[in-house]
Amino acid sequence: MGKEYKINKNGTDKILSMYWFVLLTLIAGGVFAMVYVFYGAPYDIREVESALLVEKIADCISERGTIDSEFFAADSGELNANIGEDFIKKCFLNFEVEKGYTENEIQYFYEVEFYTIKNTEASILSFNGGNTNLREDCFIKKENDKEYTSLAKCTQNGLYALDSEGNQYLIKILSAIDKSEKNVK
Amino acid sequence: MKKREKVNFSRLPFTKKDKKGTILVENIIFIILNMIFLIVLILFLVRQGSGAIVLEETYAKQIAMIADASQPIMLIKMDMSKGKEISDNNKIDFNKIISIDGNIVSVRLSGDEGYEYAFFNDVDVGHYPEIDDITGEYTGMYIFTINKKVEVAE
Repeated sequence: MGKEYKINKNGTDKILSMYWFVLLTLIAGGVFAMVYVFYGAPYDIREVESALLVEKIADCISERGTIDSEFFAADSGELNANIGEDFIKKCFLNFEVEKGYTENEIQYFYEVEFYTIKNTEASILSFNGGNTNLREDCFIKKENDKEYTSLAKCTQNGLYALDSEGNQYLIKILSAIDKSEKNVK
Repeated sequence: MKKREKVNFSRLPFTKKDKKGTILVENIIFIILNMIFLIVLILFLVRQGSGAIVLEETYAKQIAMIADASQPIMLIKMDMSKGKEISDNNKIDFNKIISIDGNIVSVRLSGDEGYEYAFFNDVDVGHYPEIDDITGEYTGMYIFTINKKVEVAE
């Protein structure tokens, strides 16, 4: 007995430095992962795009608060029911998409509804264009859940405008942009 | 009261003046490695934010939004000096980093394919880099001209 045990101080230093590097590696790993997640995710501009589409359509329908005369039938003066057929061309819209999408995969949708000021419940004229499957995405309740981020982004807005005789109309415009491949990871 | 005796700290064991100062190689290596580690981390963070891939996407989407929000007979200037630095490093002519085919914008800052994005506004978008009148070099700005599309009769 009586044997003295010397504490190896150098040894503890080495163990400490090893743990230090393990800690640094963990921190670096965390930073690398966060940076990759942040920069790897594409910028989602679909909300801005859908708002711009609504604005573009509104500008096309009404200029300075007066509905374009092309929206009315020449003989009766009523709203032209066939206006939706040529609407994309009339409003200078182009729904072609870049490589990676097939021709049938239209990434845009719009819907325009006209109401008289007396009855804002039942529309007197309604037409839509683009990919009609996207319409449903606009009415799904999205509660910031990650599962819903791949759904189309929508914007709905309304405006009041007059015809040439001074009759007032409420025009509701809904737009949806999908493009989830380019905007959502 | 009895006066307290003065303590001579230099005689205490923890302040031995005759102890030789030694430079520990292990400690130096440890510090150097830590510094390398931090530098690599900072460089990684800086380069990630201004990388070609990130900028290609940013520029393509910005140009698409400019085109969507614009109306015929507009001239829009856009600062692309960061993109110029990268294209210069990758030996790509600044004049050729953007191509617009119909309604599809393509931006290419590196040797890869680049990034494409479509806009819905059916307008004719022209583009050219701004050149300094005095030096004759690119300023880093790009100019976009928005005009009504002219239908070419076949």
